Amino acid sequence: MSLTLERSAPAPGAVPPGAGAGRQVWRRLRRRPSAAVAAAVLALLVLLALAAPLVAHLTGQDPNTYHDDLVDSARGGVPIGSFGGISADHWLGVEPGTGRDLFTRLLYGARVSLLVALGAVAVQTAVGVAVGLAATLGGRTADQVIGRTTDVMIALPMLVIGIALTAVVPPDFPRPLLLVLIIGLLDWGGTARMVRAQALALRGLDFVDAARLAGSGKLRIARRELLPSLAAPVITYAAIKVPTAIVAEASLSFLGVGVKPPTPSWGQMLSSAQTWFRADPAYVLLPAGLLFTTVLASTVLGDAVRTALDPREGSRLRVGTGKERTG
Amino acid sequence: MSRQSHISRRVAAAAVSLVLAGGAAACGPKDGADAAGAAGGKPGAAGAPQKGGTLTVLNSEPQNDFDPARLYTSGGGNVPSLVFRTLTTRNREDGAAGTKVVPDLATDIGRPNADATEWTYTLKDGLKYEDGSPITTADIKYGIERSFAAELSGGAPYLRDWLVGGESYEGPYKDGGKGLDSIAVPDAKTIVFKLRKPEGEFPFVATQTQFAPVPRAKDTGAKYEEHPLSSGPYKVVGNENDGERLTLERNEHWDQKTDEERKAYPDRIDVRSGLDAAVINQRLTTSAGPDAAAITTDTNLGPAELAQVGENKELAGRVGTGHFGYVNYIAFNPKVAPFDNPKVRQAISHAINRTSVVNAAGGSALAEPATTFLPEREAFGFTPYDHFPAGKTGDPAKAKELLKEAGFPDGLTVTLTHSTAQNRQTSPEVATAVQQALAAAGITVKLEGLENNAFNERRWDAKNTPGFFLSRWGADWPSGGPFLAPIFDGRQIVTGGSNYNHAQLDDPAVNAEIDEIAKLTDLAAAGKRWGALDKKIGEQALTVPLFHPVYKRLVGKDVKNVVISDWTGVLDISQVAVK
Amino acid sequence: MTRFVLKRTGGALLVLLALSVIVYSLFYLAPGDPARLACGERCNPQQIAQVREQLGLNESTVAQYLHFLQGLVAGRDHSAGAGLVLHCDAPCLGLSYQTDQQVTDLILTRLPATLSLALGALAIWLLVGVGTGVLSALRRGGITERLLTVLTLAGTGTPVFILGLLLLMAVCAYLQWLPFPTYVPLTEDPEQWAWNLLLPWLTLGLFESAKYARITRSSTLETLAEDHIRTFRAYGVGERALVTRHAVRGAVAPVIALSAVDFGTMIGGAVLTESLFGIPGLGKTLIDAVRVVDLPVVVGVVLAIGTAVVVAGAVADLLYAAADRRVALA
Repeated sequence: MSLTLERSAPAPGAVPPGAGAGRQVWRRLRRRPSAAVAAAVLALLVLLALAAPLVAHLTGQDPNTYHDDLVDSARGGVPIGSFGGISADHWLGVEPGTGRDLFTRLLYGARVSLLVALGAVAVQTAVGVAVGLAATLGGRTADQVIGRTTDVMIALPMLVIGIALTAVVPPDFPRPLLLVLIIGLLDWGGTARMVRAQALALRGLDFVDAARLAGSGKLRIARRELLPSLAAPVITYAAIKVPTAIVAEASLSFLGVGVKPPTPSWGQMLSSAQTWFRADPAYVLLPAGLLFTTVLASTVLGDAVRTALDPREGSRLRVGTGKERTG
Repeated sequence: MSRQSHISRRVAAAAVSLVLAGGAAACGPKDGADAAGAAGGKPGAAGAPQKGGTLTVLNSEPQNDFDPARLYTSGGGNVPSLVFRTLTTRNREDGAAGTKVVPDLATDIGRPNADATEWTYTLKDGLKYEDGSPITTADIKYGIERSFAAELSGGAPYLRDWLVGGESYEGPYKDGGKGLDSIAVPDAKTIVFKLRKPEGEFPFVATQTQFAPVPRAKDTGAKYEEHPLSSGPYKVVGNENDGERLTLERNEHWDQKTDEERKAYPDRIDVRSGLDAAVINQRLTTSAGPDAAAITTDTNLGPAELAQVGENKELAGRVGTGHFGYVNYIAFNPKVAPFDNPKVRQAISHAINRTSVVNAAGGSALAEPATTFLPEREAFGFTPYDHFPAGKTGDPAKAKELLKEAGFPDGLTVTLTHSTAQNRQTSPEVATAVQQALAAAGITVKLEGLENNAFNERRWDAKNTPGFFLSRWGADWPSGGPFLAPIFDGRQIVTGGSNYNHAQLDDPAVNAEIDEIAKLTDLAAAGKRWGALDKKIGEQALTVPLFHPVYKRLVGKDVKNVVISDWTGVLDISQVAVK
Repeated sequence: MTRFVLKRTGGALLVLLALSVIVYSLFYLAPGDPARLACGERCNPQQIAQVREQLGLNESTVAQYLHFLQGLVAGRDHSAGAGLVLHCDAPCLGLSYQTDQQVTDLILTRLPATLSLALGALAIWLLVGVGTGVLSALRRGGITERLLTVLTLAGTGTPVFILGLLLLMAVCAYLQWLPFPTYVPLTEDPEQWAWNLLLPWLTLGLFESAKYARITRSSTLETLAEDHIRTFRAYGVGERALVTRHAVRGAVAPVIALSAVDFGTMIGGAVLTESLFGIPGLGKTLIDAVRVVDLPVVVGVVLAIGTAVVVAGAVADLLYAAADRRVALA
């Protein structure tokens, strides 16, 4: 009982409900330099993506113009010059075969990839959490039905669905939205299973029991008691799913349901770069590096957000070893 | 057990070599491949080929079909041609000489009657199957008949189109034992084919595996492929996972004296397929252990791998070059506006930038820019022409001028249909190269990328052919006939099946000339006329030829006698030696 | 327990039924005419019609699906020509349109390779992934933790194809420590089986490890903040003991749940690893079949994946019921 009492009284530093909450979280986030750096990196990526046409204009390059003179046709179209043909005009070199400017292609690619990855992961997470919680709180029959539906969703390969979609999707349907929907609405099984497993374990804990005894409804228990404790694995998992979504866009584009050429995307660049990684390593390393940066930044930020949201955060800081402050 | 110790030795050896690194390499003996690189010209290891050893074949596609009725491979396939002998076969020589037909089971390439509607063959003496029983012409007749069965579909259409009664014959399982009358077997050594119309190129068709003998008593229908009866130098002793791993050993009843084409040097052939192309080429490059005696019959070097080979002389000495009768082109459907206007088609022809198209297709080592529909090989009757010169990088000024004449002074917007498959032929990169080049001429190209099956359905659908799309065509044998007829013969417009006459050209003069050339049994004379016909049709700008592909094939460092003919462009497995 | 097994078996049958209905209806929409693709590129309309009849494709989709169900329950007969009738025993998944092989046989010959790959990869991500996760929870805030974070994330950020190709080139081509892998069945030679699967296991296992490392770390940290741990800490229990003995329990549920999902999908989803290392598994079979609209094979492989997902899910439920008495079997 002492546990519940402690939880119902706001812990020092915990987020009180209401308008002050956001500011509180923000203050905590600001206290973490790594979080600030991660946020800045993500913001910069998004900004560059949004400003792609402007930046491309500054470099004087266009992402789709072929430069036949910049690749060695006799040697499979490998870029002429070192590091993938880096020059004053082409800051990051050019694409093998076509000689298209890599810097501007990466910029424009960020628009598609970031939008699709962040959008799809948001949809996945929302659906996964909702389904997982419904399975835990909805009683045994609901758990069975939801569980088996989740099995079906997990077992159905995206490729099989993608190929059928090629026939039914109207050709002028906006592709990024389509991709967010396909990847988001199909790949939530993992999140749902994880949330259910975690919530099942939590359901037996005293504070949840206490909340139930205190007369809280299921929705209220989900929101007030379970969600905060689920935040850690869910946010972590979401950050890790970003590369999967970016690569999924590429495989869907081979079926003709991805973004239309010549629009670039990081996923497509990565898959066509695969064979080039010995002959022109720069071509592989650039999209891979950006992908890595995105994942790293979103993981670090996710971690910080999750700790900042945690109502127990203040007490942990007080009692803990103190190491968390820098983590 | 022995294999395990092999691995542990490897690990130990590697540890040692890490310590000794520099010195050991310098004083090590030169291996055969270095010598070959220095010898220049012919790829592969130097020295006279010897019998013996095991040849490893590393392939990506499994040999799912191993039934002679079901195979559709130009000239009888590669691995299958080690097991199936046919009436005639391709000449197993390098380059242009390899485009000739030569006798195989038969004594000659066929004796036609006066108008080439009847072809007679006589079998050589001493021909036997792997079980020692004699090969008869009745078995060849039966082998052809069973290729008409729906259970054994997959072969080429020519027998059905050419043999009298072929159009309605449904195979020996449904004919009540009557057989196909147009194949006569007067005695065990003679076989006569009666054709609906003159076909001077029948000897080419007689190279296909459907002409391999199959004894009726041994026929097990769809199960025959599990153990087809060999008439060639090797027999199948193992077939795992439906053709993924094949083991071939010598057929003791095959007599070298009856077979001038197959050399059969190795004692054993081990085919492993289902491998990734990058891995196949990496294994051949490394050439470690059994991979030193390895080849591939279905995997080329890609652009990135070619860039990799680059300055490495040892590796370059192991790369062979092959040509296959193949063209990648832009097809127009003149029934769709604005492509009904010849000036628009001509404008596009002038505007095309073949340099960027070739680069998108893998660069100048893997693709030759093309202005003719026929490949640049004599066997096809190649006659040079460039009716709508675009130079190396396109002539947008000329294109604009033609567009103005056509009534589009402000340019126009068109849709180009292509596939989303990453094949460097009908793929997005090639389509984008076209889009870029036409933009300079004021033509805005919208790209319509379709999933590969959907793309094929569209381009083969005579009722709904797109107006402007990427297409490709390969010949079933090295001649102008199978190259031009399916694309430009008005009687070959197919509705309800696959139509390749994309422009739906039905020109009586063209049709008549195709018939006339088909009557010729003098293939050199026929070649000249195919070339002239290609040039003539080219004037109509129904297609924009883009490029003819070139194939680069890498072999392991112990492989000798590398022969790559211009018939198939692949390395001829029957010539390879590993000793 | 019996109740649980019965309930799950019933559920599994429903899942498989739903999967087969979905795949049948999706392929009804998909582009590509299976008869034409099975017949070959140059077939004339007559031949295509013959093949269509031979494959039973001229029936309605519903009739075809009912035949499929009938085959599952009672088996089917197929004419193979030459007066031969082949019987396909129940449960018959039909014949491949392309190769005429019985789909049941096809799956049974390919399942061992796929299972070998998936089980080894599972072992690696549990060991490496969870191990790294615990280590970084212990060393949180330190340089070790940051290094581990970057390393594991580099694992997920690198496409599995490049990771595998790098391993292949380093180990087999450059150092030549191992010959290029070729799959050897476990029943043939267990030692060779393991040697040849070593690189594919590492590729797939390391690729997946990042996820498990991150989840383990965050769940462990989450548990560390819980009240009972605070009590332990107040009693002077050391940080290492806290993490390894108590806090890591928090990671058990999510790790098991995700492992079940990943293991199940790996049955049909490890295409790149399979084709890179020449493993005759189901992933490659599925991709090839989808490409040529070989519906019986697609349905067969999807059902195999479905079975794996359901079984792995049930095992996961059993495992966290065993690990945590508060969770009742549902």
